[in-house]
Amino acid sequence: MVPWEIISKASSFIAEEMGVALRRSSLSPNIKERSDHSCAIADSNGNIVAQAEHIPVHLGSLRVGVKLLLKEIEKEGIGLNEGDMIVSNDPYITGTHLNDVTLLSPIYHGDNIIGYVVNKAHHIDIGGPSYGSINPFATSIYEEGLIIPPLKLVEKGNIRRDILSIILSNVKVPRISDGDFKAQIAANIAGIRRVRELISKYGIKDVLDGWKSSIAHAFKLAVDEINKWPEGTYFSEDYLEVGQHELVKLKGKVTIAKNKILVEFPNAPKQVEMPFNAVLGVTFSAVSFPIRSVMRVEIPVNEGFYSIIDLRAESGTIINPVPPAPVSGGNLETSQRIADLIFLALSKAIPSRVPAAGSGTMMNVMMGGFDEKKGQRWAYYETIGGGSGARPNSDGISGVHVNMTNTMNTPIEVAEATYPIMFTSYTIREGSGGNGRYRGGDGMVRSFKVLSKTRISIMASRFLSSPWGVGGGREGKKARVVIRKANGEVISINPLMSMVLEEGDEVIIETPGGGGYGEPE
Amino acid sequence: MSTIAVDVGGTFTDAIYIDNEGKLRITKVPTTPLNPALGVIDSIKKSKGLNEVEEVLHATTIATNSILGQINLELPRVALITTKGFKDIIEIGRQNRPKLYDAFFTKPRPFVPRELRYEVNERTTYEGKVLKGIDEDEINDIANDMVKKGVVSIAVSFLNSYANDENERKVKELLQDRFSFITISSDVSPEPREYERTSTAIINALLQPIVSSYISSLASSLSGLRSPRFSIMSSAGGLISLEEAIERPVQLIESGPAAGAIAALELSKLLGIKNVIGFDMGGTTAKASSIINNEIEIVDEYEVGGESHHGRIVKGSGYPIRFPFIDLAEVSAGGGTIIWRDKAGGLNVGPISVGAEPGPASYGRGGDKPTITDANLAIGRLGENLAGGQIKLRKDLAISALKALGEPTEVSLQALELINLEMARAVRLVTVERGLDPSSFTIMAFGGAGPMHAAYLAEEIGVKSIVIPPEPGLFSALGLLLADSRFEARKAFPKDLEQAFSELEAKLREKLGDVDEFLRYVDVRYEGQGYELRLQVTSFDRHEIEKEFEELHKRTYGFTLSIPIEVVSARVFAIKKRKKVGLGEARENGVKSPSGYREAIIRDHWEEVPIYGREGLPKGFSIKGPAIIEEYSSTTVVPDGWTASVISMRSIIIERC
Repeated sequence: MVPWEIISKASSFIAEEMGVALRRSSLSPNIKERSDHSCAIADSNGNIVAQAEHIPVHLGSLRVGVKLLLKEIEKEGIGLNEGDMIVSNDPYITGTHLNDVTLLSPIYHGDNIIGYVVNKAHHIDIGGPSYGSINPFATSIYEEGLIIPPLKLVEKGNIRRDILSIILSNVKVPRISDGDFKAQIAANIAGIRRVRELISKYGIKDVLDGWKSSIAHAFKLAVDEINKWPEGTYFSEDYLEVGQHELVKLKGKVTIAKNKILVEFPNAPKQVEMPFNAVLGVTFSAVSFPIRSVMRVEIPVNEGFYSIIDLRAESGTIINPVPPAPVSGGNLETSQRIADLIFLALSKAIPSRVPAAGSGTMMNVMMGGFDEKKGQRWAYYETIGGGSGARPNSDGISGVHVNMTNTMNTPIEVAEATYPIMFTSYTIREGSGGNGRYRGGDGMVRSFKVLSKTRISIMASRFLSSPWGVGGGREGKKARVVIRKANGEVISINPLMSMVLEEGDEVIIETPGGGGYGEPE
Repeated sequence: MSTIAVDVGGTFTDAIYIDNEGKLRITKVPTTPLNPALGVIDSIKKSKGLNEVEEVLHATTIATNSILGQINLELPRVALITTKGFKDIIEIGRQNRPKLYDAFFTKPRPFVPRELRYEVNERTTYEGKVLKGIDEDEINDIANDMVKKGVVSIAVSFLNSYANDENERKVKELLQDRFSFITISSDVSPEPREYERTSTAIINALLQPIVSSYISSLASSLSGLRSPRFSIMSSAGGLISLEEAIERPVQLIESGPAAGAIAALELSKLLGIKNVIGFDMGGTTAKASSIINNEIEIVDEYEVGGESHHGRIVKGSGYPIRFPFIDLAEVSAGGGTIIWRDKAGGLNVGPISVGAEPGPASYGRGGDKPTITDANLAIGRLGENLAGGQIKLRKDLAISALKALGEPTEVSLQALELINLEMARAVRLVTVERGLDPSSFTIMAFGGAGPMHAAYLAEEIGVKSIVIPPEPGLFSALGLLLADSRFEARKAFPKDLEQAFSELEAKLREKLGDVDEFLRYVDVRYEGQGYELRLQVTSFDRHEIEKEFEELHKRTYGFTLSIPIEVVSARVFAIKKRKKVGLGEARENGVKSPSGYREAIIRDHWEEVPIYGREGLPKGFSIKGPAIIEEYSSTTVVPDGWTASVISMRSIIIERC
């Protein structure tokens, strides 16, 4: 008899190895420099048994996405043979936004599918009117890029040229997308091979039993932890920018009960014709992340952990929209606010474990154009971190990503060598963290000049509302973006913008600081 | 020539002395953590009359331990001079947090505080065009301020200096009369990525005063000798001169572990084995390195002080250094690794270990936490007498510590299986990541605990042969005696390969004089990829290189692309061969019978297992498992299904039968 711990551990190693294969062979800076990807193994029912921890917003979404994808495959009558790989980026199925492309492969043992390997990676561009696809002015998902329904990208081990051609014909830098698809395929091949090795070493029964026990174990760790928290219902409120000047109020309601946590959003705003709708997978991620973060035990992130969360999100709202609502910013910005909301509610139950609000925005910058000097089109996507919230026992950290993202920056020297831009500063935004017994971390300043005509779009939040403090700690400073035109004109811009820059225009981006903790002394 | 090799470890300083006739002598003295030079001098004195040593070879932990604050040493004040607008790059790093789910995470604190970061109005483009040169007055003002603030060492790092180092050099020229230690980033890491390059320059600047004074204190203590030649092991696995060590001390970070990996490389060459996994398991960690076709794998980046997650350092948890390092995957798995149960009753091993004090429960020094050593002892794989009887282990204490977790035998077996799995992970990292199948390798197992776990690890990854070297517990010191001198130089984005290599080689000749051999490498990728694959250069022909790259890419990732291929860097190692010591041979007529028997569990049941003394075994002698072979510095377990044979170079080979 092989102890399940061994199967469990080996399985999470496999998920990590898949991530290595993906990262090292990909072309887009999103994946190779910023690690905007995730890998997992699921059992035959689509339950996540092991995940590599890369980006929080992908992780919970795989839990929702894999099951929905399997359901869709069954509904459409798509038979899965050995060597097949299903591709899809439909956010209403795979659970984030169009740029995140999911690739799922069955693991066969004899004639039976005994599980799946799956990976998800953020493609730099997936079509649509905007460079980088994320379109601040989309009113429906059709303006956010190409929707790929569940299709076989790989059939019995061979890439389907027809499918790949349709996709590559719709994206702005096809050679990069081509490389990234192949890297995703390589990751699944590596995953399948290693699961097979595991089966041939330990036998199919032990592997499947090991997966079951691994899920049961995570469940036990999770419930033992939450059962120590004070039972009760805790409320919170926060604001989200939707559009250029408008704030909507989001309400959170978290009920800690025996063996489960019930999460509701009373009177959630209706879905909007702007890209701030968070599909269910995103909302689930943004709810599970804060809960996981305040636990003081190491818990394998699998179905066992996820199943303690009971999420109720009304259909047709901003936190569970129906097609064709646009969703890109739901994944990027609304997710940040949902996480803030859950943290704030939890801070009322277990104050000693919850920090003040962090910057709360990913500060997404999408740029592109035609580089005259190199004679080629370019597309660049960057997210910029800010300050983390002060903690009950220490200051917040300056210049980091918080909540639902953890992508690395693109090095300035890599960006300058790749795109027609030149940086003018990259510093800590001193004094932007909220004051308090412990100070919030400071945000950042990142600024650059464009060297040729460029379209820039920005999607962000915390321009109009501030990251909150806790226990008398002060708010962090809001975000601010200014464009200094080559002719000297200075334009202050909104959280949602898109415009054309001329050669020599400078963009100065300041990200929010985190909130403070406790009354300042 | 008489040579002494000294390897400073956490607990012991090991020295191996070789006299003119090639006779080896071994000494172990305690390490003085606060002043490691003492142990070195002590071991040299103990080994032999001081006057007779002509050459000292050294592996040191001074660099790592100073940075990690393990030495009671105030770090020197280091200043950074950088491009205007970018003084916080070292604080922001890559903007990620090292832990995803920890609301209380921290980031490593920059070694240069903000008041010592100076911005200069200068700029170079990515193509190497200087847009704004250096203003001498500006630098003079900064120099005055640095003197006032007591700055000891300076790092200069400008944007795009990898493409053109003009401005950095100019600053160095202007400052060198007033400061003893100046590091320019293009000298230590001439590659793009400003954060990693600046961090490397700062670590170098930080270490320069420390290493320089460590070396002069050693040199003055040894001045009674007839000035022996002194060399230090670099992280890339070559011996370097004292001057080079002082100029670029960043390359001493993994000095000790590199010595072990080089030992594995050199012994495998002597034994004629081409593909080897070096497996070094000690008290707190296990390290794996890979040798392919008698070449050791070298990587470019390391994070000192970083946290390790399943064998690889978590990005952003430490201080990055871009310099060649022997690729070592490291996991928290050693004799002292603690076995414990989590809150839901799951059994776990590590990553915490008990350290030298109090040590495993069975050491009887007050430790009550069960460890891997205790598990091995409880099931008889490890005997109660270690180091020829110098250390006595107490099985009763081991068993009572294990009892806290359940039935001791069951707990021990399961813990050992888990730790073997953790180590298998490290081995996979150094093989699978490159598209290599670990089962086609031979494991060379050393470190005090390596030979005990090697066969189980081999079964986990499908390896069929294992080599146990002579003196496995002191194998790193032995590695120093087997190493060559090895200096490195590199150039980013070489336009003309032939010209780039000839420039680099001229530079190395200047440093080294005669060179026996140059090893040329290129790092190649598809345009736009972020990671390169390394090729050894046999011809300067572009097409040849591209063809080899595509084959390797296919092998590693399973696909190729139809986009341009670029050479990201050219790198040369200059090798100066040193005369190798002989390792000697096992005796012709030795003891062929067991020295005794012990109850042990080798697989899943208790049985009487024969115990052999390694020192007495004759060459050519074979033992079928199950068996245990004991020696001064280690214990080897030979499970059933394996046969151990004494081969040349006093080595043992264990093969699947």
